[in-house]
Amino acid sequence: MSRPQIRQWQPEPAPPPDLAALLAQVARGDHRAFELVYAELAGPVYGVVRQVLRDPAQSEEVAQEVLLEIWRTASRFNPARGSAAAWALTIAHRRAVDRVRAESACSRREQQAADPGAGEDDVAEVVEATLEHQRVRRCMDGLTELQRESIKLAYYGGYTYPQVAKLLGVALGTVKTRIRDGLIRMRDCMEVPW
Amino acid sequence: MKVMRDDLHVLTGSYVLDAVSDAEREEFERHLQHCLSCRAEVRGLRETAARLAMARVVVPPARLEQRVLAATYRTRQLPPLPSERTHRKFPCRLAILAAAASVAAAVALGVGELSAQHQLDRARETAISRVVTAPDARVETARTSAGGSVTVVTSAALRDAVVSSTGLAPLSSGRVYQVWVMSPSGARSAGLLHGTSLLATIAPGDRIGITVEPAGGAARPTTNPVAILPV
Repeated sequence: MSRPQIRQWQPEPAPPPDLAALLAQVARGDHRAFELVYAELAGPVYGVVRQVLRDPAQSEEVAQEVLLEIWRTASRFNPARGSAAAWALTIAHRRAVDRVRAESACSRREQQAADPGAGEDDVAEVVEATLEHQRVRRCMDGLTELQRESIKLAYYGGYTYPQVAKLLGVALGTVKTRIRDGLIRMRDCMEVPW
Repeated sequence: MKVMRDDLHVLTGSYVLDAVSDAEREEFERHLQHCLSCRAEVRGLRETAARLAMARVVVPPARLEQRVLAATYRTRQLPPLPSERTHRKFPCRLAILAAAASVAAAVALGVGELSAQHQLDRARETAISRVVTAPDARVETARTSAGGSVTVVTSAALRDAVVSSTGLAPLSSGRVYQVWVMSPSGARSAGLLHGTSLLATIAPGDRIGITVEPAGGAARPTTNPVAILPV
């Protein structure tokens, strides 16, 4: 059996298109601009929804709703309040989590809740050769175990902080604090402009 | 259940990760409306959460694109919301222009007896006029949690900004309002806030913060900002 191929660092891609400007065009009904927005955002939107929901068919359905929502509400994007990517990915994550919570009565989800591994980043098709992937991984390594697990379970696992507290066997207040100071550390480590 | 303020502030992280219940989200969003420092923190943490998503790119099936693009042709878009501050833009800017003009006039009157201090003041006023009259001048106004409001006029071309405030609560002696230029690498002091101040070398993405500090000012911000504005 051949050795797994080691992915090469890819050269820095051409500067990404200005999403905020494209969204302004989309808000005026420009389908061509929307295709470019789709090309930029479909991967992260589908990726984060898939991370939370796991089920590919359901993830595809929710990703479709989210991307159409971006088309529908482009006029509501306000660049003074944050980046276009953050706006879109906030919608995506929220939709995925809403779907999870709506289903939380189902036994399938309850079984997953008993498995703390559900917060692990194990979706097979994740594209690892992105700059952001490397950066997030490096900065995650700089967190304490509790910060890292809390953030992964909350964001990638789609759990509420009381559920995270239960899964990790720590107090509610501790989880809230660790999520916040862990994210602040990530923000500073990744030098996120804000 | 009434949650204490401190508790609410700690919720910024859980809020941006959607790890709160609907009831907590609503309560936190009400709190956000009058907590500027929370809003600033939420903004930065939300950008951070977006990076977590961008680190999980999965290429969707090709049919998704066909479906979404087709759906856009039969989906009506929402109209924009009424703008929050457009109606205030002109009055603010005119007020600053008027203030700058009156200062310039006062300086011009004393032109016969220009001391070194006067010359410095005059250079400063000229710089302020240049910013507020720049073709690309942008005006941002925000209410402060200490009452009143702060206005920042920025010219990206000049890389300068002008800050002025009105109606801020008077401070006890021994405390002052200090202005900061906040960038991802940290906050640098832009001096104490009095009248109209000029801020030099502003970069895109910087923000202007106002904090309450001990008399004489501090080397770094020691309290939560009463106002934060984009430039």
